[in-house]
Amino acid sequence: MDSSHLAEHAGTAGALFASVFVVASTTMRTMIPLRVFGILTNIVLISTAIPTHNYLIILVQSGVLVLNSYRLHQMLQLVRDVKKSVNGDLSMEWLKPFMTEHKCAAGQALFYKGEKAESMLYIVSGRFRLVESGIEMPIGAIVGELGMLSPSNTRTQTLECVEAGTILSVSYTKVEELYVQNPEFGFYFLRLASARLFQNIDTLEQRLAQQAALASSAPTPA
Amino acid sequence: MAGVLSSLRYLLADVIGDDDAATPLLPEGSPDAIAPVVSEGIHLLIDYQGPSYAQLYVDRLRRFVGRAGVDDAMFGEIARLMANRMSYEDPIRIAQLKLGEADAAPDDVRQFRIDELVGALPTAVADPILGVLDYLGWVHKPVSIRFSKASRWGIRRLKIEASLRRWRLFSVRYGDERAWVERWLHMIDRALVKQPAAAPQIVQTATMVQGYGDPYRLGMADWHLIIDGLAKPTFDSALALPDLAGAVAEARAAACPDSRQVALKRKIDEIRARVPSEAQPALADARTGP
Repeated sequence: MDSSHLAEHAGTAGALFASVFVVASTTMRTMIPLRVFGILTNIVLISTAIPTHNYLIILVQSGVLVLNSYRLHQMLQLVRDVKKSVNGDLSMEWLKPFMTEHKCAAGQALFYKGEKAESMLYIVSGRFRLVESGIEMPIGAIVGELGMLSPSNTRTQTLECVEAGTILSVSYTKVEELYVQNPEFGFYFLRLASARLFQNIDTLEQRLAQQAALASSAPTPA
Repeated sequence: MAGVLSSLRYLLADVIGDDDAATPLLPEGSPDAIAPVVSEGIHLLIDYQGPSYAQLYVDRLRRFVGRAGVDDAMFGEIARLMANRMSYEDPIRIAQLKLGEADAAPDDVRQFRIDELVGALPTAVADPILGVLDYLGWVHKPVSIRFSKASRWGIRRLKIEASLRRWRLFSVRYGDERAWVERWLHMIDRALVKQPAAAPQIVQTATMVQGYGDPYRLGMADWHLIIDGLAKPTFDSALALPDLAGAVAEARAAACPDSRQVALKRKIDEIRARVPSEAQPALADARTGP
């Protein structure tokens, strides 16, 4: 029996089968299904290229398969981390893989009050101070996460580096991309941002209550 | 069809750089007497970059509308000086202006520094080039550029240079200019809170930064020296200058074209030394932070 004849038929059938996956991939609206179908397409194309010994296709598709798998893993991990954060400590650490590192010198202002906000920052090391309120931001603090959702989109304070350090930054555009690519991430991100906002309100209420208690306990002048 | 074109334009916005935003309006509540100045600034910046850039100017101005301590004259000065600073002179701007001149206009030869020329390119392109230039020690080398409308090739070259404005907002220079304008506005804002009498003088410091090449670099360095040496420490309560406006004016008078800034540094030290010693604990407190 002529095996090359069989390989040719297998190749044609495989190409048809792969075409179905390629078309299906283009109909996906969000990132996770798109990556899954991409992976399936890669596998089918590799399988059909093996009988015909088309090494170029095997090589290219293997590369794309690795890339698709890595991106899918990243996206799934992101959703898992955001979900965990919503149910846990409300931390924004999950954003770190998407952030870019910057060194800051003492005296350098990272942004000014009234400036249009375009990115959120994560403090890795050094000392940073909000100029107008005089509050020092601790290491691990995220700055500007609510600016992305605020209508005015402007900085409410100036952030200055007091002691040289490192920050990570991610642009709102990047977060918006993640949001649009993955509705599940978007949903949990909104929940997380709301939870942090409510947490801020609770802190403010507690401070107000403390101030009211102090004012009422203070002796009244005769 | 319009929807498809609009989508395509949005998709390619970074490349074609089309700015189809509406012309920005004057900031609501701004003084009527200053409307011509603001309007002129808006039109200048639309010509310079586009409506979105002019909108940024209006947004920045809005911070001072109705602000205590900002009268019409000061608001007008902020509007005028900010428009000047936001339309900074880079090679792209000079090519734009040259194209607007009459055909018989004589050639212009301007001297820039290499980093200034490369800095007009998008950061992603400029950074590696600047790295190589830095390695070779050529970053600060002066370069003469001719802007000419005398030949067809000259006009074509000017058009190519002017077309780079599409990527101007991604350039290294724009990042620096943006940081400078924000810092200047921040200093005005802090002066209004801490020492309102000094605010008009802080506004006027914008005139120190002008042009291109070495005079621009020097003006910028002098400005930062005065702000870091006098204004910021005063606002941070690290220096108890009773008359910041006078101190800034005195320091400005001492500034001269000297890349080592010897006279200016000496004058700033002299002004600081005049501050009563009782202010020193405050200085130490401010340096340790909250």
